[in-house]
Amino acid sequence: MSRIEDIGIFNAMREAGLAKVLPAMPRIAVGMGTCGRGNGAEGVYQALAHAIDRDGLDIQLAAVGCFGACSEEPLVNVWLPGQPMVILRRVQASDVERILTDLSRGRITPDLAWCKIEEWDHITAHLRYGVGFPELPLWSELPFFSGQKKIVLRNCGLIAPDDIDEYIAVGGYQALYKVLIDSKPESVIEQIKASKLRGRGGAGYATGIKWEFLAKAKDDRKYIICNADEGDPGAYMNRNEIESDPHGLLEGMIIGGYVTGASQGIVYVRHEYPLAVHKLTRALEQAREYGILGANILGRPFHFDIDMVEGAGAFVCGEETALIASLEGFSGRPRPRPPYPAQKGLAGKPTNINNVETWYNIAPIVLKGPAWFTEIGSTKSAGTKVFSLVGKVQNTGLVEMPLGTPLTKFVYDIGGGAAQGRTVKAVQTGGPSGGCIPHEMFDTPVDYETLGQLGSIMGSGGMVVMDEDNCMVDIARYFIEFTHSESCGKCVPCRVGLDQALEILNGFTKGTGTVAQLTLLNELGRMIRDTSLCGLGQTAPNPVLTTMRHFRHEFDDHIIARRCRAGVCHSLALSPCENSCPLHMNIPRFLDLLKEGRVDDAFEAVFLDNPLPASTGRVCQHPCDDRCRRQTVDAPVNMREVHRFIADAVLLTDRFEPLAARIAARKKAPTGKSVAVVGAGPTGLTAAFYLALLGHEVTVFENKAEAGGMLRYAIPEYRLPKRVLAQEVELIRRLGVKFQFGAGVGSAVTLNELDEGFDAVFLAIGTWKESWVYLPGTELKGVLPALPFLESVATGTNPALGRRMTVIGGGNAAVDSARTAVRMGMEATIVYRRERKDMPAIKEEVDAAEQEGVKFLFLAAPHRIVGDARGNVKALEIAKTRLGQYDASGRRKPVVTAEIVRLDCDAVVLAVGETVDLDFARASGLTLHEAGTFVVDRFTMETSRPNFFAGGDAISGASNVSNAMGFGKKAARKIDERLMGVKRFAGISGGFEYSMEPPETTSTSPRHRSAELTSAVRVKGEDEVMVGLTEADAADEACRCLRCDIRG
Amino acid sequence: MNPESSLRGPSAGAGAGDTSSAVNPPDSVRYAFINEAIARSTGRPGALLGILEAVQERNPRKYLCADELSYIAAKTNIPLSQIFSVVTFYALFNLEPQGDHTICICRGTACHTRGSRTLLESVRLELGLEETPGQAGADKLTLTTADGRFTIRTVACFGQCALAPVVELDHRILGHMNERALAREVEGLEQERHE
Repeated sequence: MSRIEDIGIFNAMREAGLAKVLPAMPRIAVGMGTCGRGNGAEGVYQALAHAIDRDGLDIQLAAVGCFGACSEEPLVNVWLPGQPMVILRRVQASDVERILTDLSRGRITPDLAWCKIEEWDHITAHLRYGVGFPELPLWSELPFFSGQKKIVLRNCGLIAPDDIDEYIAVGGYQALYKVLIDSKPESVIEQIKASKLRGRGGAGYATGIKWEFLAKAKDDRKYIICNADEGDPGAYMNRNEIESDPHGLLEGMIIGGYVTGASQGIVYVRHEYPLAVHKLTRALEQAREYGILGANILGRPFHFDIDMVEGAGAFVCGEETALIASLEGFSGRPRPRPPYPAQKGLAGKPTNINNVETWYNIAPIVLKGPAWFTEIGSTKSAGTKVFSLVGKVQNTGLVEMPLGTPLTKFVYDIGGGAAQGRTVKAVQTGGPSGGCIPHEMFDTPVDYETLGQLGSIMGSGGMVVMDEDNCMVDIARYFIEFTHSESCGKCVPCRVGLDQALEILNGFTKGTGTVAQLTLLNELGRMIRDTSLCGLGQTAPNPVLTTMRHFRHEFDDHIIARRCRAGVCHSLALSPCENSCPLHMNIPRFLDLLKEGRVDDAFEAVFLDNPLPASTGRVCQHPCDDRCRRQTVDAPVNMREVHRFIADAVLLTDRFEPLAARIAARKKAPTGKSVAVVGAGPTGLTAAFYLALLGHEVTVFENKAEAGGMLRYAIPEYRLPKRVLAQEVELIRRLGVKFQFGAGVGSAVTLNELDEGFDAVFLAIGTWKESWVYLPGTELKGVLPALPFLESVATGTNPALGRRMTVIGGGNAAVDSARTAVRMGMEATIVYRRERKDMPAIKEEVDAAEQEGVKFLFLAAPHRIVGDARGNVKALEIAKTRLGQYDASGRRKPVVTAEIVRLDCDAVVLAVGETVDLDFARASGLTLHEAGTFVVDRFTMETSRPNFFAGGDAISGASNVSNAMGFGKKAARKIDERLMGVKRFAGISGGFEYSMEPPETTSTSPRHRSAELTSAVRVKGEDEVMVGLTEADAADEACRCLRCDIRG
Repeated sequence: MNPESSLRGPSAGAGAGDTSSAVNPPDSVRYAFINEAIARSTGRPGALLGILEAVQERNPRKYLCADELSYIAAKTNIPLSQIFSVVTFYALFNLEPQGDHTICICRGTACHTRGSRTLLESVRLELGLEETPGQAGADKLTLTTADGRFTIRTVACFGQCALAPVVELDHRILGHMNERALAREVEGLEQERHE
């Protein structure tokens, strides 16, 4: 190929290149960036090459870079002349034959087709591929690409990076040509200044001004450097840019060299990016061949060449003076500035350093003008930025968005939010120099200034999404460990300060931290920030300072309660299951005891951890399932049903008496202290059990006739038989707990009387007030809240409600109501305003309801209840909803539409959530939250009144049984500590010898599940649906445990 | 044709189960190679890094021998102390022979949030590698088994964040790893040896 000496040759080359990009035959281009390769793109390419060669097909095969949708890789572009380019996703080598067969018939394989591109703005040129395939969405219509503006990534994934002709075909090197032929260097610098382009490497310094410094520096030799030492963990846009479009970088640098008067450019690229190194090497060779690099570039008297240097793995070399030291053959240690590199840089010569992405913006600005560029983005931050959206979102990849786009757009619209059942907690921007932005601040526009105000930085554009499984203390520790190990050691604040900070953070994650250290860490962080020599040290404390600012409660959890909710800090947990259990049951222990055939011991161990093991064994939301490590093998251990089995094996058999005696024998000597527990629900019962076990006199006041709370009065018989609960309550009674039924506090007994009569009072009043929906028609006969409905059934007074019931809501109460109605012979329909996956009810219960014939109407909000002439319910009118913006729960908010649907029915049950009985709460005189829940110290459970503690739904709002019991257990511990002045709780459930050897083998069986009654049988009565595990299955299930509690 | 089947030069493909390749060539050959590397780089920016990278890459055990460093110092007139400073500063350079197989665990942020620390722990235990006291709990480590079969090391970030957690096994990128899949990969390499 000849050198480009004039416009004639240049244009001829462009034509030749176009014949490659839009050939006269079909073109198939495989995305072969590193992400694509990691997902099998090489196999796809080889299979295509083989088949095309074998069959002698007239198809042009190309290897292109990455289009950015990394989670959908391998991507393959298929183009038939005159048609749109179609992007196929998740293509495997085995798909190749059918892709080619379809293509030979002018078809696109439908299950692989993702989207189409009819035309593409390469910025430097506009290509029209064709119009057609109406059934396929345009690329820009897909959520992942919505709002993306590809300037930097203009060619990525579309042209072959190995082929300079394709780059020239899409308008490449035109900007360079223009600059060399008609522009004065000063006017180009003015353009860059006017464009407000800021450095994309992190600090955001104005590029035009930096260039001007270099242009004005007088020296015989000047350098420009491209910083491609992309060391921020979590950011990889530079890798993709170079891999996919190396000439875009070269063009920017050659223009930069020309206008600043530099004669040499250097690309300092990470050694860890072999493919980028390879692509760049090839691009440099081609550019030299074409006369675009070297002497007399494009036939003009301008000499410039670019060298490539591979960095050797040192994060600090991203700092410009360290990078220069590295190039000079020294360790990459930064030097004080001034002198700035523009005065005295590489080898003492004036030098300018810009990030990869900055260089990619140059050609578009030169061609389109600064006004075009400033139109994009926000006022102070013009243009776009490429972000690597990774971590706990469903769609990961590289996204190029106008600066100033809010974080919600990234996390939810583009990223698709967290995985099913998880909630996004924070986004980390800027890598080890940045910070964590909490969910509440997701409306923050992403630009240099705003991120700075939040204590974070834009950095190189890493955006790592975290969900509730990520511990923010661990994240802070992780980053400090990183900067600590990457600190060059030159200045004391960074070298010694980070060492101390790491020490403190290690203590936090191991449960040895103190509150004083939090203050110290804060001071230390500020000191390191203010006094370090270079950017590494000055920004290293950001991750700690921002997490302490926005996630202080997690630090408190680690330091005060020695708990890591996310379960990441292993030292603070026995095992992942134990950590996830609100009662912190020692699950591996009872599994092992059962495995050893010691059912009595297993029961004793279970009951001491959880005094309602048979009830929770039936109705718990089982968070342990989500944490069980066995799920990486097949499925989590069915811990809930195993402890139900153990509980049933004693509570419902003649083992009850001996075991009740064994547990009662564990009661500690009387302390002489007395405690009143208000409410005999799960919270109150749990607290009463432990307080009695600890030797206190416990009296439970309950305004209903029996103990159990929601377990007794709301959860239907078919899920939890009353006789099971009754046995548990009996065992608690055997410990000496006294019950006063029908004793409503506030009416029968006053709080003042309790205060006088007892050493401590524990309020566990639950949430018994049904929230009311204010809509027309609620006064009609046949409209009732879920709790009274369930309660009337539970107490045997079945109300006559007609033939058809509609239930409004999506929680467990809604599902319980509908299933109960079915058992009463009614037809039941659940109306829920969101989608099925958003229902808060236990999934198994929803499935069971469906099997039993319950109908569901999703995306529907109640509009009005229609009555007949006698004031009875006749129908419910519902408004269809559509999903709008994401709300604080990370779910999309339903928006009511004008479409109204009428649902004939005889009864309407409102199951839209429960709240605290506000009358009681207000009358108590205690400090309340706005929702009516009691304000307590979350570590001691103390209310605003001395000696009064509170827990359960009364402090958290309506939750579930296990959470409620967790509060009861914690309150008992704290009340005991307060009454006795010593910590006595830890020892009360100990004393079991069991194997602490790692199991040699575990059961290879899949997860055992309880048998259940068929839906035909169960709708006929109130018999319990879940039969329970068999003895053999329970024992084998216990053998599936991997024993995460054994360490070392 | 696959345009870049061998990115790392001829030595990258060798090594797997092929013990003959693990023998370092005689001094004369090695020094001749060093001379070439020096000739290629002299006068260019980043020359020393380039020379050291080339020499280490050429070594079948992927490390820099003491005699080579002395030779480079003598040939380039760069003080040996400075060369040592560079070699010990950058994560890439090794002063110890590396194992037949290298398992490199990415400790980037995305990988960390998806459990790469557990992966590192499990593979370390699997290979029976003790943490050295100075490296206890550290993210940056290089450990080689006594039999020279395996080296485990970490990298700050591979830039493959969308595939997190990522492990590189002898220059092969494995995405979406879990303990079990990684153990199987390592077992696969062990079996290769017995076949």
